[in-house]
Amino acid sequence: MKTLSLRNLGKTYFDPYAGAHVTAVHDVSLDVQQGEFVSVVGPSGCGKTTILNMIAGFIPHSKGEILLDGTPVNGPGPERGVVFQSFALFPWKTVLDNVGFGPKMRGVPKAERDRIARDYLALAGLSHAANRYPNELSGGMQQRVGVVRALANEPAVLLMDEPFAAVDAQTRMTLQEELTRIWQDRKPTVLFITHDVGEAVFLANRVVVLSKGRILDEVAVDLPRPRVWDQLVDDDEFKRLSAQVLQMVRAA
Amino acid sequence: MRGAASLAGSAMFVAPLLALLAIWAIVVPLFEVNPRVFPSIGAVGGAALDSIRDGTLIAHIGASLLRVGLGTLIGIATAVPLGVAMGVSPTVAAFLTPLFRFFSVLAGIAWIPIATLWFGYGFGAIVFVIFNAVFFVVTYNTLLGVQTIPHTLRNAAWSLGAGRWAMLTEVLLPGALPNIVTGIRTGLGFAWRGLIAAEMIATNVGLGYMLFVARDFYRTEVIVFGMIVIGVLWLLIDRLILVRIERATIERWGMVRRA
Repeated sequence: MKTLSLRNLGKTYFDPYAGAHVTAVHDVSLDVQQGEFVSVVGPSGCGKTTILNMIAGFIPHSKGEILLDGTPVNGPGPERGVVFQSFALFPWKTVLDNVGFGPKMRGVPKAERDRIARDYLALAGLSHAANRYPNELSGGMQQRVGVVRALANEPAVLLMDEPFAAVDAQTRMTLQEELTRIWQDRKPTVLFITHDVGEAVFLANRVVVLSKGRILDEVAVDLPRPRVWDQLVDDDEFKRLSAQVLQMVRAA
Repeated sequence: MRGAASLAGSAMFVAPLLALLAIWAIVVPLFEVNPRVFPSIGAVGGAALDSIRDGTLIAHIGASLLRVGLGTLIGIATAVPLGVAMGVSPTVAAFLTPLFRFFSVLAGIAWIPIATLWFGYGFGAIVFVIFNAVFFVVTYNTLLGVQTIPHTLRNAAWSLGAGRWAMLTEVLLPGALPNIVTGIRTGLGFAWRGLIAAEMIATNVGLGYMLFVARDFYRTEVIVFGMIVIGVLWLLIDRLILVRIERATIERWGMVRRA
């Protein structure tokens, strides 16, 4: 049972502009079970991206512990896949080679990693784009590549940092639906960061509300799957949960 | 479509050169210009044929290209690793950047006098001048290239399991390539000018030498022919090699902002 555990996690850093130490994350404890989809929602500046960057290992944490399967994490590692807001695809690699990058780093031979990459591209409906370069794709397609590139490495936990914030509203809804479908298919463990309450509720099993570097509260989401916007948009339970989370975020 | 566009582009490029030729063809006979001041087109054509027939042209071009090729290769081979090393260490980069900016300006011709003291007159001094012209510019541009790679790309590679070596070969080098190619184009431009200057002073074969010796005998037709060869060779190197590398790689990746 692979579990991500944050224990009293905190981050304080020196802000040269303010000329003082700033605490971005105060004291966050959170457990994510294997196969769970957890959304972390909060206003900008609440520390949600800082938390994700600490879990990913991009920045060190100041206090507390980050445990993956009981083992403390230090620095970035392939067992924690990351999907970036800015996509962060390698412009000099084809879509196929971007998705096959993780397996390549594990030493998987070319033919096998191409097979893995094609499998994941098919999952995202991107088979036709395998030999394209990222700059030839729309933002929505680039982020589909970003998602399956992280998944193709079969990480123990998938960290998603406002991944759909940079695409237009219609594309965003499609990507959200596709993500729930992919999640049902592969059941990855996901920690999803967003400031969009509707998105947080739509995707997750559990929504964690963050404010000023602390966890305010959390809400379980038992909406049936598969989830599609056409149905949920008029669903009473979805509306109730969204209103409840929104109230927490606004009170924050 | 693309073929027609590139044909039109070539025409735009050739037209002014043809206009210059036309002026030359009219002015020189019209004013009966002294051949010691400027040659006629026919005389230059004759000089061209002579030098092709007796093999001296090939000898000069061969000597010059060998020097440029060798100096450039040594320059790139040393500059790229150094530039990358500087790029990954902010402290080293901050310390060395002013030096490299200074030497980038100084690169090439200014080193000829001291190069002849170190290496004597000949091959070594000229290759050193070429190397020098390429080295500082390529190092500085490689450093710039590595520094401008978005940090999220490094984070992405890291979180996908890349180690130090993979980071270098899969992210830093390709990411810096647009700047490296720019550096090589600039550096080769310096090197080509430096080569001609160095060959006038420090050798007995090569295109620069060909110009310099012809001057002693008032052979303006040989001088002008040599100048044309130097210009055309540079255009060929730039268009056929450097621009093609850009097209095949960085333009395809959407990483280049200018054509």
